[in-house]
Amino acid sequence: MLHYYEPEQDYGTPPVESSESVSLSIDGVTLAVPAGTSVMRAAALAGIKVPRLCATDSLEAFGSCRLCLVEIDGRKGYPASCTTPVEDGMAVRTQTPELAKLRRGVMELYISDHPLDCLTCPTNGDCELQDTAGEVGLREVRYGFDGANHLAAEKDQSNPYFTFDPAKCIVCSRCVRACEETQGTFALTIEGRGFDSRVSAGGVDFLDSECVSCGACVSACPTATLTENSIIEQGIPEHSVITTCAYCGVGCGFRAEVKGEQVVRMTPWKAGKANEGHACVKGRFAFGYATHPDRITAPMIREHIDEPWRRVSWDEAVNFAADKFRAIQAKYGRNSIGAISSSRCTNEEVYLVQKLVRAGFGNNNVDTCARVCHSPTGFGLKTTLGESAGTQAFASVEKTDVAIIMGANPTEAHPVFGSRLKQRLRQGARLIVIDPRRIELVNAPHIRADYHLPVNPGANVAVLNAMAHVILTENLHDVEFIESRCEKTPFEEWKAFIADPAQSPEALQQATGVDPVLLREAARLYATAGNGAIYYGLGVTEHSQGSTAVMGIANLAMLTGNLGREGVGVNPMRGQNNVQGSCDMGSFPHELPGYRHVSDAATRALFESAWQVELDPEPGMRIPNMFDAAVDGEFRGLYCQGEDVAQSDPNTQHIEAALGALDCLVVQDIFLNETAKFAHVFLPGASFLEKDGTFINAERRISRVRKVMTPLAGKADWEATIAFARALGCAMDYGHPAEIMDEIARLTPTFEGVSYALLDELGSIQWPCNERAPRGTPTMHVNAFVRGEGYFAVTEYVPTDERANRRFPLLLTTGRILSQYNVGAQTRRTPNSTWHEQDVLEIHHHDAQERGINDGDWVGIQSRVGTTVLRAKISDRVRPGVIYTTFHHPVSGANVVTTDSSDWATNCPEYKVTAVQATRVSEPSAWQARQQQFDQRQRQLLVEATMDA
Amino acid sequence: MTGQQIDHLVTMANQIALNFGEQRNLNEAARRTAEHLQKFWTPAMRQQLAAYAQAGGDGLSPAVSLLLEQQRSHERSIHS
Repeated sequence: MLHYYEPEQDYGTPPVESSESVSLSIDGVTLAVPAGTSVMRAAALAGIKVPRLCATDSLEAFGSCRLCLVEIDGRKGYPASCTTPVEDGMAVRTQTPELAKLRRGVMELYISDHPLDCLTCPTNGDCELQDTAGEVGLREVRYGFDGANHLAAEKDQSNPYFTFDPAKCIVCSRCVRACEETQGTFALTIEGRGFDSRVSAGGVDFLDSECVSCGACVSACPTATLTENSIIEQGIPEHSVITTCAYCGVGCGFRAEVKGEQVVRMTPWKAGKANEGHACVKGRFAFGYATHPDRITAPMIREHIDEPWRRVSWDEAVNFAADKFRAIQAKYGRNSIGAISSSRCTNEEVYLVQKLVRAGFGNNNVDTCARVCHSPTGFGLKTTLGESAGTQAFASVEKTDVAIIMGANPTEAHPVFGSRLKQRLRQGARLIVIDPRRIELVNAPHIRADYHLPVNPGANVAVLNAMAHVILTENLHDVEFIESRCEKTPFEEWKAFIADPAQSPEALQQATGVDPVLLREAARLYATAGNGAIYYGLGVTEHSQGSTAVMGIANLAMLTGNLGREGVGVNPMRGQNNVQGSCDMGSFPHELPGYRHVSDAATRALFESAWQVELDPEPGMRIPNMFDAAVDGEFRGLYCQGEDVAQSDPNTQHIEAALGALDCLVVQDIFLNETAKFAHVFLPGASFLEKDGTFINAERRISRVRKVMTPLAGKADWEATIAFARALGCAMDYGHPAEIMDEIARLTPTFEGVSYALLDELGSIQWPCNERAPRGTPTMHVNAFVRGEGYFAVTEYVPTDERANRRFPLLLTTGRILSQYNVGAQTRRTPNSTWHEQDVLEIHHHDAQERGINDGDWVGIQSRVGTTVLRAKISDRVRPGVIYTTFHHPVSGANVVTTDSSDWATNCPEYKVTAVQATRVSEPSAWQARQQQFDQRQRQLLVEATMDA
Repeated sequence: MTGQQIDHLVTMANQIALNFGEQRNLNEAARRTAEHLQKFWTPAMRQQLAAYAQAGGDGLSPAVSLLLEQQRSHERSIHS
């Protein structure tokens, strides 16, 4: 879907949903539109453009520019078409001599205070002011430039991605309104009155302001006042390609706007159903990593990790790897090798990796990064509801009356959904935040959580049980829903368990740390406020009871009948762009694609017939099992696709020991990441801009990824996996990812109807997509649960072994920030590091004072497995006894401290609770010193490889 | 089999049994733990745990010990 560059059509004002239709005529064209639609939008729908400057269809009408005036039969004056709703029988004229005169007069005033530098202006050819001057036929400006004007106003170039040039500002307020309505940050305002009115980022420059660089203001600006620096430097694009963002699990649709093969701008796609035209600082601006000089574009091999790399052909690299893997299997057995697939790669690519493992390696030793994030979601939701996925579309939140945000921080980690949620909250929806930390949503501009339950790290299950106890014992539960939709015996068993006074908020207070009065009120609110939706993140899953907490969430939703319709549901906020897809595609060692267990003979037979091999009916190793076995010398070869386990997985020193023990580590990545420094074979990967495929976001939405540029290394990741498979003698004959998707559809009932043709037609599809739901399924479990009847699982609270004690009196919890993404491999190679150059340790001033720690001091953080050192940031976002950090920079070594404690059901690591001590120190830790040395050595070996080539 | 793996396997098995309500219903917890291990553990991991139990099973929780004993009895009955 390659389009010559053209801005997306703008209807002037937002669409209106109404069952009532209104007929009118505009310039002699008769049409019917939903009641409440503006005259301006109705005209646009009829193909008639009314000149405008302050109106755009992503914002509510404002009526300030006075250009969109129209004449309406029987009505006096010249109403603004943007603020005038249609009426039945209305006859509108948009072009009359009087209107032309009025518009030219207004336009003349605008242009009298605007530089006439169109030919050298960065948005020449893509400027609404320029277009509108043409539309109204402006030929002269009678007032000249001798009077007072703003032409000498200074530019603000503080933001690394866009420039604010106030000389070109027409004070239409679109940027200010975008910041408020679309993003919900309220960073911009109009300062001054009358002639002195000017856009201001709160009296400071953009970088120092509250601005989160989402770019909504830049998108909304009709002139060159707010312009992407890439456009200033490179000019406007010449074509565009619709694709999907490769950052978080929101899965925003984008127009990649391109000159030749160079992306000059990523514009959020208005028709993208996950984001509807909005974006964040990562997706919109941080795409420069794709062409960063650190990209490795040639395959490399070496016998030992102390040797320099040898740059070789693709054939030599895959044959080298295949020989090693076959030799390992011959010596140590079939199960001595395995693979980790990437949640950043496409569905088609992860499908091929699991196929390679199952059909080529002959075992089920395949796992994916969901192991360390949302594997408890898979287990918990499959057990209770029958499907390992969220129940709603993001748009569902527009019908939510009360939202619970638990262990998630949407405004930082899922910012586009965060903005959508904020819109709903500003409309009056209620909010309960359950989090040890005071996240932004607890108290943001025009938003205040009704309840913040600052749960002790590790006590989520206790909080959920206590809430369920209140709802049940106060008879606030939905008896009819439970009786008609849920299994009776498990419910009775659960009911007896949860009604026990031992599960009351008062009895559990010591565990939860939450005031029982607040907890009771919050539970009542969730049960009685109407549509209740629960959104949760890694703060729920990354615990020793992650799976239990997910089941506790599902129990709450079933208990209150909050499933099976819009506005409600259980919504996991998935971390990576395709983590849902990688799970769907059979990346877990116990499941074939579509979450079917490997022991299921009928499913196995289906794949055996298609792949012409016999499949192993027993589960394979999970990632931690692989590492344990590697340390013990039983697991010897690993194919690691687009995953940086050396940085992202817990207990770094254990991971390093495991990687160092492997006979052959094959890493496929776009950079020499931390894991690749232990590798023997490096297969250069391709960024999302270099390939075709699909991603699946947190709402089960399958969206197309489309190739924008040729793979820098000559192969997309699916082609690299095919080459490796063929070298191993595993047949894979695909000419295009569409053929892989066709195979997935043939073999997976929930994807039966999916094809690239249907994706092109619909834009995106939420699975299940099959005969029963040919256009997809926005809301799951509508009349019945996927498992038939809902299952109430008994969720006994079992405290984690990671408890504060005399030696380790603090609890460390980890999270993400807006500007960086996961291990930072992408975002650290963009100007996003402007906002986050290093990971810091947030510590409450009580704990800091007790330890003599000041803001900015080096702090040693010691757990039972390791020590690292970070700079202190005194913060009241965390409570006394809890400290917090991020893990975006390798040198921070946050995971040197995290332990092997993990979720009981899935082995998802307990990143969110580590018992530690913090002390003021003067130098980095021993691990950090070693890491720096190792890093330098490996970089040198890479340089030597380059020189040898 | 070496220390690294078996330590983790024992911890994991005990944790599973505890979360399946070992303290409320030992037999049911043993049954569900056995089911869980069959569904999610590799045969090698299950064998290592069984061998460890056979060798004394120090540190195994009551439900895990029970399920492994039941499995041994079952195997004995098959072979006898």
